[in-house]
Amino acid sequence: MLLLFTFLLVPGAGAATDSATCFGCHGSMEGDVKVEQEKYSKSVHGSFDCVTCHMAPKGDQHQGLGGAAPDKSVKELAASLAHKSTKDPIAQSACITCHPDLYEAYKKSVHGQNVITKKSTDGPVCTNCHGSPHYIQARPSAESKVHLFNVVESCGKCHEEKHMSEKYGFSPLVMERYLESFHGRKLKLGHAGAPSCASCHGSHDIKSAKDPSSPVGNLENKKKTCSECHSGATEKFVAAITHKPLHPIAHWSEIGLILLTVGTFIFIIIHVLLDIYADIRDRLFRKGGNH
Amino acid sequence: MDKNIPQEIERFDLSVRIQHIIMFTTFLLLSFTGWGLKYAYVQPSSAWITIWGGAKVAGIIHRVAGIIMLMDFVYHQFYLLNLARKKDLRLTIVPMPKDVIDAFHNFMYFFGFRKERPYFGKFNYMQKFDYWAVYWGMFIIGSSGLFLAFPVTASMLFPAFTTQWIWDILFIMHSDEALLAIVFILIFHFYNEHLRSEVFPMNWMWLTGKMTIEQLKHHHPAEYDYLYGKDKKK
Repeated sequence: MLLLFTFLLVPGAGAATDSATCFGCHGSMEGDVKVEQEKYSKSVHGSFDCVTCHMAPKGDQHQGLGGAAPDKSVKELAASLAHKSTKDPIAQSACITCHPDLYEAYKKSVHGQNVITKKSTDGPVCTNCHGSPHYIQARPSAESKVHLFNVVESCGKCHEEKHMSEKYGFSPLVMERYLESFHGRKLKLGHAGAPSCASCHGSHDIKSAKDPSSPVGNLENKKKTCSECHSGATEKFVAAITHKPLHPIAHWSEIGLILLTVGTFIFIIIHVLLDIYADIRDRLFRKGGNH
Repeated sequence: MDKNIPQEIERFDLSVRIQHIIMFTTFLLLSFTGWGLKYAYVQPSSAWITIWGGAKVAGIIHRVAGIIMLMDFVYHQFYLLNLARKKDLRLTIVPMPKDVIDAFHNFMYFFGFRKERPYFGKFNYMQKFDYWAVYWGMFIIGSSGLFLAFPVTASMLFPAFTTQWIWDILFIMHSDEALLAIVFILIFHFYNEHLRSEVFPMNWMWLTGKMTIEQLKHHHPAEYDYLYGKDKKK
């Protein structure tokens, strides 16, 4: 009888564990081991069994649980991600089983190089940009972390960090200058044609802007990238966007214009207030006078 | 009253009245749509832009209104040229040294050092300020707006050494000076032509173009004397 029970609860090696088994615990646990079953089922991968990605869950509590044996490429990636993904590097690497082309692009990107080759903890793996794998949505969904209107925020998680800009040599104002630009403002207001970070810099295959192979890495590529929206973009045109701090000439022009604006405000406000005062005074004390 | 002196006088002819209507209609459209972009990160800008048909449509409204406004402005220059051709153009709106004296006198009057308003001409210094502010706006906001609307073409006009800062300056010019224009209109023009107790709720001259002789004599005594005065008969 006991044997039968054990047999039912713990399926034998080779047989994939049913998701219901996992949710039996993880559906009601607290903290980051909790997975909301309903939300999970609505994600783009909601029909997957847990063990599709969590092929070999760690720990005694998971003994006998698991799915298909991870293939070689997943194992290799898991080994290279072990420094960054401590919980379940196999699951973290499982994306590549179905998305090998994106993995190939990512592996060569500045992000992938940093994580996989340089073994840095900086730089994103899939879930850093796409959000929790349990609730992942396709990019056209407004809930997707990489949706046109959300991706800037996702990039900003690292790219507005000062220590990141110092370490990797990008402009510390890259986010600020983008957000205040026409591109950033239009995107904020929901203009579907406005470019996000990824529109110009690429996504899975992203390169450092200092890398000549980046879509913004050299003059010719810049011209090509800008031309996608601004046909006929020239050398002088592509210089418009740098994400660098304001040039001193622009900075002092701005201050000049602000002084002019504030000066005019003060003058007209005083003028109008005095006018109101004189009007009231004349009506009260100089009846039949000037008004 | 002298029989030769009419009851009222036309200050704005039909063409000028239409020019003004086009100017303020486009001004309002530009302000409403531009404000949403300027304060894109301040709520409820997104909702506000939705009222205008979303970011894309609001952008089209802004560009079309801007071009109509510039055309209105250009038309006004031809209108002036035509007046000059007919020898009908008096330079009454041109700022003169007397305007500085008038402004000084007006402040004296505000503070009670003078009993009367200055001896204003056809247009007082505030009206001249109002008028020339439009030129400033057209020059600063209109030109930068055109460049920003057609950036690829504009980039060919600018010399290479300007590329590092010209776009930021154009952006600041367009955005800051538009705010100046809006606040200027909202405070100065609205007070003078709408809220002032004498004209509230508005100065109907924008529709009728006419001012009574009493008002002319009172507010523009120099013009009255020029037209009907004893020394300077027309």
